[in-house]
Amino acid sequence: MNIFRRQRSDSPVVEESVYPLIASLTPRSKTAIRGRVVRIVRQPTQGLPTLLVRIEDASGAATAVWLGRRSIGGLDLGRTVVIEGVPMTSATGLRFLNPAYTLLP
Amino acid sequence: MKIIIAGAGSVGRYMAEQLSSTGNEVTLIDSDANAISRVNIAGVTVTLGDACEVDTLSKAGSSNADVVAAVTGDDEDNLVISLLAKQEFAVPRVVARVNNPNNEWMFNEMWGVDVAVSTPHLLTAMVEEAVSIGSLVRIMKFEHGKAQLAEVTLAAGSPAIGTRIADLGLPRETTVVAIMRDGHVLSPQADIPLHQGDEVVVLLTGDVEQDVRRVLIGNSAS
Repeated sequence: MNIFRRQRSDSPVVEESVYPLIASLTPRSKTAIRGRVVRIVRQPTQGLPTLLVRIEDASGAATAVWLGRRSIGGLDLGRTVVIEGVPMTSATGLRFLNPAYTLLP
Repeated sequence: MKIIIAGAGSVGRYMAEQLSSTGNEVTLIDSDANAISRVNIAGVTVTLGDACEVDTLSKAGSSNADVVAAVTGDDEDNLVISLLAKQEFAVPRVVARVNNPNNEWMFNEMWGVDVAVSTPHLLTAMVEEAVSIGSLVRIMKFEHGKAQLAEVTLAAGSPAIGTRIADLGLPRETTVVAIMRDGHVLSPQADIPLHQGDEVVVLLTGDVEQDVRRVLIGNSAS
């Protein structure tokens, strides 16, 4: 995660500025975003459980997709999370496939 | 287009040659130095390494590849390569080769596969097509099985014979894409009447196979 931190010696690191804004992401380059869970959809694709989690920050929203999972403990509506992975473009905005996640308090 | 082919066996090498000759930027990956050394195709880049490892895929340039084709002779490897290509590099199109048809059910979105190509399945379809007149032959699936290409050769007694394409009453989810008649391909204009022996190629989406059978084959056929 450290590679994404833009440390400034003269000012303390502000949480929000550590992660790039969703609207500024470049598709297909590995990144981490921080945002709030605003929607959770369980939608089987071809009979496979699929969890779609919409994550929003001040600039926009992206979707994290976990295949083969029905739920992730602690990943609930309103929760702030950090999602780390490779975003890809899709019809509904950027998508992260099976990203790493960190639940923030 | 930038295409990465994992597996430099006869299939991979053939694909590399074909795709490169049509002006694509092709990279072949194989962990076997012997297989790599047999690649002697102008314009094709080779990467020696295990394509099941992120580092190798990265070295081959997966992060800006348009297509990754996993065509090794090992289904497990093909699945791992597909998943990594999709998950770690967000490759827009991942094509995987199915060696053992028993494994075909796994080659789907779950493993990052956009298109699964099963040689045994294709062979079966081709044989079916050669021997069956008056039945629906599934040729290929797209969009994770949501759309498929199928073919019907019109047998005597088909209700479609003598009917114009526009009047067939095919469901909306179906498109006639070509008519093969006496070795020629006819473009499927609405006012072409169908003849006995015509091979009708249709693109189907959704669950309309039964309707297509009814229209092109009739009720008696399976």
